[in-house]
Amino acid sequence: MTRRRPRTGAWLAVALTVSLAAACVRNETKSPSAGLPPAPWVSRAIPEAKGEIQTLSDGKKQAVRYKGWATEDFSQYRTYAYDDADTLLPIGKAAMPAIPGDPKTGRSLFLNRTLGPCTGCHLIQGADVWPAGNVGRDLSAFGDRNAPDEYVFNLIYDARQFFPETTMPPWGSAGVLKPEDIVHLVAFLQTQKSPAPPEKDAERDPNTRPKPRGFGDNLDATNNPAVLRAERAEALWAKKGMTGKGCADCHAGGPLKAMRGVAARYPQYVALYRRVMSIEDFLTAHAPENTGVPLLAGSPDNVDLTMLIKMASNGMPVSIDLSSAENAAALGRGKATFYKKVGRRNHACADCHTVANGRGGEKFLGGRLLGNAEAGFTRHFPTWRTSQADVWDMRKRMQWCMTPLGTNMLAADAVEYAELELYLTFFDRGKPISVPGIRH
Amino acid sequence: MAEIGRVRIRIPSSIKQGDIVKVRVLVIHPMEIVQRKDGKPVDKNYHFINRVVVTYLDHDIAQFETSQSISENPFFAFAFKAVEPGVLKVTFLDTHGGKYEGTAEIKFS
Amino acid sequence: MAPPLSETRLTRRALLQALGAAGLCSLAAPDPGILTLALAQGNPGRLEPEESVDATMKRLFGTQPIKDGSSVIKLDLPLIAENGAVVPVSVEMTAPQTPQSHVKAIYIISDKNRRPLTAKFTLSPPLGYPYVATNLRLGESTDVRAVAQMSDGSLLMAKREVKVTVGGCGG
Repeated sequence: MTRRRPRTGAWLAVALTVSLAAACVRNETKSPSAGLPPAPWVSRAIPEAKGEIQTLSDGKKQAVRYKGWATEDFSQYRTYAYDDADTLLPIGKAAMPAIPGDPKTGRSLFLNRTLGPCTGCHLIQGADVWPAGNVGRDLSAFGDRNAPDEYVFNLIYDARQFFPETTMPPWGSAGVLKPEDIVHLVAFLQTQKSPAPPEKDAERDPNTRPKPRGFGDNLDATNNPAVLRAERAEALWAKKGMTGKGCADCHAGGPLKAMRGVAARYPQYVALYRRVMSIEDFLTAHAPENTGVPLLAGSPDNVDLTMLIKMASNGMPVSIDLSSAENAAALGRGKATFYKKVGRRNHACADCHTVANGRGGEKFLGGRLLGNAEAGFTRHFPTWRTSQADVWDMRKRMQWCMTPLGTNMLAADAVEYAELELYLTFFDRGKPISVPGIRH
Repeated sequence: MAEIGRVRIRIPSSIKQGDIVKVRVLVIHPMEIVQRKDGKPVDKNYHFINRVVVTYLDHDIAQFETSQSISENPFFAFAFKAVEPGVLKVTFLDTHGGKYEGTAEIKFS
Repeated sequence: MAPPLSETRLTRRALLQALGAAGLCSLAAPDPGILTLALAQGNPGRLEPEESVDATMKRLFGTQPIKDGSSVIKLDLPLIAENGAVVPVSVEMTAPQTPQSHVKAIYIISDKNRRPLTAKFTLSPPLGYPYVATNLRLGESTDVRAVAQMSDGSLLMAKREVKVTVGGCGG
């Protein structure tokens, strides 16, 4: 019913390997496994956020995720878990089927949102193409190259055959596209010849498309509903749990006064729990132990209180401490996670969220402008999401990314996510906290 | 989830008599959208704000008739002429009999 | 000796005097009892029929000519909306408001929504300045139009296209 439990020893072995791979860690420590809890962390998340896999009565597996999210199980693909010894998807090669390729079928496959869509990264001709991205090459004149069909077939099947560092998913090797599909795609791409039709629409081409204007002042309660929601959390602060105490009983002066400066130091290694924690993680342990109130990871109460606690530090610079052995080691592991390729799509966070080496940061993925993680954004989380009409914390945002990557999500309060969050917070050092954010 | 009907009004911090004042207001409300079943819209009394009344000095000066095509947690902005000190009130009425109010005290500085 | 005027009557009288002095007092102000009336009638939501934007325009304005108001109506909308759930719109009229000629109502119509009429803002001279803003829900890329109904009954219109992006990494 649940994921296989990892053995403690496996953590150490993988942590060593992972940390050695993170060559650029500032404070190289003698113990790269410093800061890892002695035993795997038992998740205290709501059921939807635990990353569990169910086995149904017919033997099929299904992922337990948030309502409305895909339930597909991706167990055969690599996850972010430190003990995940799955190797990378092997580079595949296939023979090109000797069937006639139909460009019309190929075009509809190219636009098919359940497959890629290819237009997520590649622009092609056609006024109906909306919205294409520019993470990958503009293919509007691909046919001009007269590349051999066999080469194009293998490029789509598994681009790593020719470009080992590519961010293009291995569509064939991962089984997303069948060889017959790829034949039609090749036929279509060969029809993309110049001159392209004149551009009537500056927005159609992602290279000339204006960047999104954002959603205005995140701290204005008449603009950001999350601000009103955070005010509701003040009642949670006073609420007494089973121990007969509430937050207010130990932390006097109201949340904004009592918590001032606290969030600026998170995420950090918490000695009491022997792991790196964000405010959300910390609440899952601290609250039940002191007040008896559960505050499960991913619950609205946890998210709302986290917002309130972080708001108490609004305007203060992010000041995470990287000098301790534990935090430094965790930062190294977080960085390795950021660069780790996972899932059916064989993607690392870095593939979309950095700008160097032709990666996706600040380019359009379909209609979405991909954020550059190195510009920092954790100081705005938790954030209101206008597309969801809800407040999301950093972990839910990470878990959301997992499904299109084709990898099973970990529990919201997983140590791997906390250390990744520590790495991401690194890029916000010195910048003022401004919670809640507001974004798509 | 903030409770349905919570209202926040924003007016400028400093208003002089006779100023045209821009007002921003937000109310927490689901603004339930039309559901579809087998491709056809489900007929029911959807829960959304369909009327907003602006009252200044006990005089109703504006009315907005709104629909399910207004975003959840509706936001509105408008302008009015601050002729006298007094109360500016915005009342939201929804289709389930809900009535939510926000008020701002208009003072001159 | 006349009894002293109540506070309410005093302020309303002062308001009307002030409006008169400002040249804004008009018989076209909304009935002061709107709110009372609305509460009395109840406020049920009927499921309005789906219709094309042409049908909406015909239903609202009949065969009345609609003039191009793009020079006097400032309609602000993003060129591209990241999602259709929250699309900010504002409508401002730059023509001076006089007792003879002022804005009575502003309609916001989203052409491709199944029920194109999105909102009707009924204004009155005490507002002093025709400006309204809100957030729209758009089902897909569409034109959004603002139709201003003037005190003399004439209609002016401005419209803009909004492209809505759908989907993305996981949506």
